[in-house]
Amino acid sequence: MKLIDLATIDHDERSAYDIINSVCNELGFDYASYATTHPVNGDVQGYANYPDEWKIHYATQGYHHLDPTLYQSALSIAPVDWGRFNHDDKFNAVFRDAHDFGITDRGLTVPVRGPYGETGLLSVTKDCTDEEWKKLKKHVMGDLQMAAVHAHDTVMQSGLLAKALYLPTLSSREKEILQWVAEGKSQQDIGDILCISHRTVEVHMRSGREKLGALTTAQAIGRAIGLGLIYPG
Amino acid sequence: MIIVIDGINQHKFKDVLDEMFKLRARVFGDRLGWEVNIQDGREFDQFDSLNPAHVVSINDEGDVVGCMRLLQTTGPHMLADVFSSILDGEPPIRSAQVWEATRFCVDTKRLGRGRGKNSVSYVTSEVMIGSFEYAQEAGVLDSVAVIDPVMNRVLQRSGNAPYDYVGTAKPMGKVVAMAALMDCSDERIQSIREYSSIDYDVFLTDDQALELFNSGQQAKLAQAGAANLDHQPLTDLEKYFVEQMHAATTKEEVQAVLKLIESLSDRFTPEQKTALLQTPRAFAHEA
Repeated sequence: MKLIDLATIDHDERSAYDIINSVCNELGFDYASYATTHPVNGDVQGYANYPDEWKIHYATQGYHHLDPTLYQSALSIAPVDWGRFNHDDKFNAVFRDAHDFGITDRGLTVPVRGPYGETGLLSVTKDCTDEEWKKLKKHVMGDLQMAAVHAHDTVMQSGLLAKALYLPTLSSREKEILQWVAEGKSQQDIGDILCISHRTVEVHMRSGREKLGALTTAQAIGRAIGLGLIYPG
Repeated sequence: MIIVIDGINQHKFKDVLDEMFKLRARVFGDRLGWEVNIQDGREFDQFDSLNPAHVVSINDEGDVVGCMRLLQTTGPHMLADVFSSILDGEPPIRSAQVWEATRFCVDTKRLGRGRGKNSVSYVTSEVMIGSFEYAQEAGVLDSVAVIDPVMNRVLQRSGNAPYDYVGTAKPMGKVVAMAALMDCSDERIQSIREYSSIDYDVFLTDDQALELFNSGQQAKLAQAGAANLDHQPLTDLEKYFVEQMHAATTKEEVQAVLKLIESLSDRFTPEQKTALLQTPRAFAHEA
């Protein structure tokens, strides 16, 4: 089960990414994210405007496998205040790390059920006092509900999930080579490491680039990381 | 008092939900005669598998006396599917700020008339206050509730009249079913509270709800035990059941006896029934 940043395959003008950004700007939250589980392959995919360092840490730690703000919130019909997870070891494990990245554990998740039984999750965080949090929730909950459905429908109607299902299938050699490029190795280095000719490296790299629809190697690396095919170097 | 049971805390409330499914079987299967799926004396359908929120009323004796099931209208819900006839072929409402309420019922056998505690009107009001306040906190503005005409009249009389209906009433079992619209506003909640004189916070925490329910169950067990110790004469029907249970040698036979007890449950007081169900079960383990 992978964690996929839909921003990497989303080339539409108005996307769910804009919606989560406006949730922060207009409703006064620090960060927002939208996630859904792919109905076919179970991948967690969506958008988040968290700092890149936290997104990368979250993905490399595989927190999407255990984060209760995803799995538990999907079981509710009402928005779930993360205060409900105070005594949850998994929650505390994820958010102890989040704290080191300057991200608060004060947040909530609005679950959306879609017509086919699929679930979308809009999560928001804000570092503030109990009093402010209570007031903010009361004030914006209706807007959050609407934003959540809007984000969910936008993703569902965009065909992005179908695109994500037809993700480029990279061979293990192609992934391996892109991974070494991400680590900063040259073609010659990679050939030496893998005991293959630099020409073979070049062939696989070109194939991987084309499968990812990327013009440059740097772009290919970016997409491969966003799609969870390789890890950041 | 009210406990909201959803997909997150349902593992703690298996026994409460079991009582609730039994109440629903009595109301929707027996009393209203709807074509509902009843197994083992419990009414359960596919929407219960979708992690709905159950707003459950537990009285001071720890009995489940009322309930309502809430689902988002953005996803699968009853008006979009099994109750679509009510909408005369029109597509259902779909909004993040509208929830659907179904399986709304109270235990008319246990509850009486009037307005006091343990009346139909009181528990109806309590479930309504609970569901509206829960919805309100979730940013929900309106609810569409599938109800029968009796419930409709109870609502109209208790300061909680629906402001409109969608579609038209359709025959459903012994009665008709209709889809009523109600706003989740402060005014409506206030009006119900005034009518029912419920001025306290209706919500129990998970722990409080468990304590209330479990103390009720223990009291009933003690009562059942005491009844046995008294060696009160059993009715012929009770004797028959005990004999049948003694004679049962397979699981199927045990189930058949339990089913018979359940289907003849009108003939006993609730205490007798509990005692009967408990006593034979003890025998059944030996068998």
